[in-house]
Amino acid sequence: MPVEVPERELVRLEGLWSDGLSDAYRAYQEDVGRFDADAQPKLALAAALIEIGIRLQGLGGRAAPPTVLLVGDLCLARGSRLLADNASLEVQVAFAEAIQAMSSAAAAESSVPSTRQLLQRALAR
Amino acid sequence: MIRARLRFDTKHATEFVDLTDRLRQEIRRAGLRTGRVYLQSLHTTLGLAVNENEPLLLRDFQDLLERIAPQGAGYHHDDFARRVAVPLDEPENGHAHCRQLLLTSASTLLVEDGDLVLGRWQSIFAVELDGPRHREVAVQLDGDFVRPSREASEALVELELGRQLLVDPEPVAAPMRRLVEAGGKRLRPKLVQLTSAIGPRSEPLRAAALAAAVELLHNATLIHDDYVDESTHRRGRPTVAAAEGPERAIAVGDYYFAKATRMIAEIGNRDVTSAIAEALEAVCASQIDDVALRGAYPGDRDSYLRVVRGKTASLFAAACASGALLSGATPEVVAALRRYGELLGTAFQMVDDMVDFSPSSGKPVGLDIRQRVLSLPLIYAAEDREVGPEVRELLAGTLGDREVGRVTELVTSSDALARVRSEANALVEEAVRELEAIELDGLRPVLVGLARSAVDRNA
Repeated sequence: MPVEVPERELVRLEGLWSDGLSDAYRAYQEDVGRFDADAQPKLALAAALIEIGIRLQGLGGRAAPPTVLLVGDLCLARGSRLLADNASLEVQVAFAEAIQAMSSAAAAESSVPSTRQLLQRALAR
Repeated sequence: MIRARLRFDTKHATEFVDLTDRLRQEIRRAGLRTGRVYLQSLHTTLGLAVNENEPLLLRDFQDLLERIAPQGAGYHHDDFARRVAVPLDEPENGHAHCRQLLLTSASTLLVEDGDLVLGRWQSIFAVELDGPRHREVAVQLDGDFVRPSREASEALVELELGRQLLVDPEPVAAPMRRLVEAGGKRLRPKLVQLTSAIGPRSEPLRAAALAAAVELLHNATLIHDDYVDESTHRRGRPTVAAAEGPERAIAVGDYYFAKATRMIAEIGNRDVTSAIAEALEAVCASQIDDVALRGAYPGDRDSYLRVVRGKTASLFAAACASGALLSGATPEVVAALRRYGELLGTAFQMVDDMVDFSPSSGKPVGLDIRQRVLSLPLIYAAEDREVGPEVRELLAGTLGDREVGRVTELVTSSDALARVRSEANALVEEAVRELEAIELDGLRPVLVGLARSAVDRNA
């Protein structure tokens, strides 16, 4: 686990780190360079948590079993809290728009846009 | 303090734009009764003046300005060859800047009895000196505002909820609309609205937006909960998961989770955003604990309180704190209201558990037992010396209609419900005591009444 990710941000989600969260985190690290050094790991983690949360929930595909859905919900909530504490208003709104775009497409049973691309675009806002 | 901008287009090079009626509208709209209106021109060639709106007199003023600072009278400012970084569209307007020097760029006006304090012949002008142009005057209103009635405030939230659902895509909006229109107690938005009137910056429209967002967030969590609990009905209607499938329920919940967090972020108060985000995280973490504890059903009081504080009380606490933060209340007031909300939320959930045993609640009796939802009456009944052994034995097995009926009988025959009622009442009184040491600008009786009515119910 990279030292810059505060341990408390992974509490209850430790098992996800080796199950895709660390890979997603590393991928988003490339998109957070323009932010303050302190905020960079938190924003990369926020994006990774939201990506993994959406995957766990099964948004746009087969619904996750209830217990897995709840872990997905916690990922989204924690990602959202990290954004609330560390991101500008524009970035927070861009993330919310990305989730709205994916969930409304899923509800309409049309193809859901790529989570990573949408969140990378949100980080560039 | 309320902020506004007066925007207008001028048509002439020199023009007196009478702002009096527009300012009166702003004062009425804001509900300012006694206080001040601060005006500030946002341009260097737009002045402000208070004088008589008589056309010939205005002509005299214009003539005076032209005599004192005639156009094209060799102003240094108009000698572009000597200036640096001159924009391409820079006009020769040295005269306009000099004329503005004779006026004022900021002005304070008094308000009494909900109207501007003006002499019989006084009007407020923005004076265009280099038109025609688009212009803006910044306005701030400060003082004592009329507090909208509770009915009006609640109507504002309903309007805001309706407005938000109107613009959303139908596949997500329709299920949420059904849930919102089915009712609900709207306690969380009420708490936001009440506490948002406590501090010095009472802004009913922003409070209504925050209250509506909190209600949407709460409903989004309910939609996912209903899937997790396999609930078929909520508020007398089929749940989203039951009616449209779990895939749709997950999408609708996610959409309104995101929409609500966006609405809250757009309010532009970082402390408010953080307070709600922290509460939402606590709600989600406690949902996991809640489901995990069903393996040791019915659990114990400490585990119950830990789950309820996260699952229910945290959003009550955040609703109270965020309203107070929005209104600019002091940290002491915010902290006391947060504690009030947490205690009230815990008591509210205890009474909600009791409703499961009330035949007059409108819900099927024993639904929580059937779904193995954490419930304090059940915990107390399971601890009871007389009925406890049978309750525990029944809960350890398969819960069919007969077993659920028998558990209900045992709970109601024990003193479990009385114990829970007494505990909920004690928490409400503790919540009320939290309000004693803080200044609430006349809202204490309303908050006390709301707390007591939240636990004095059987539905």
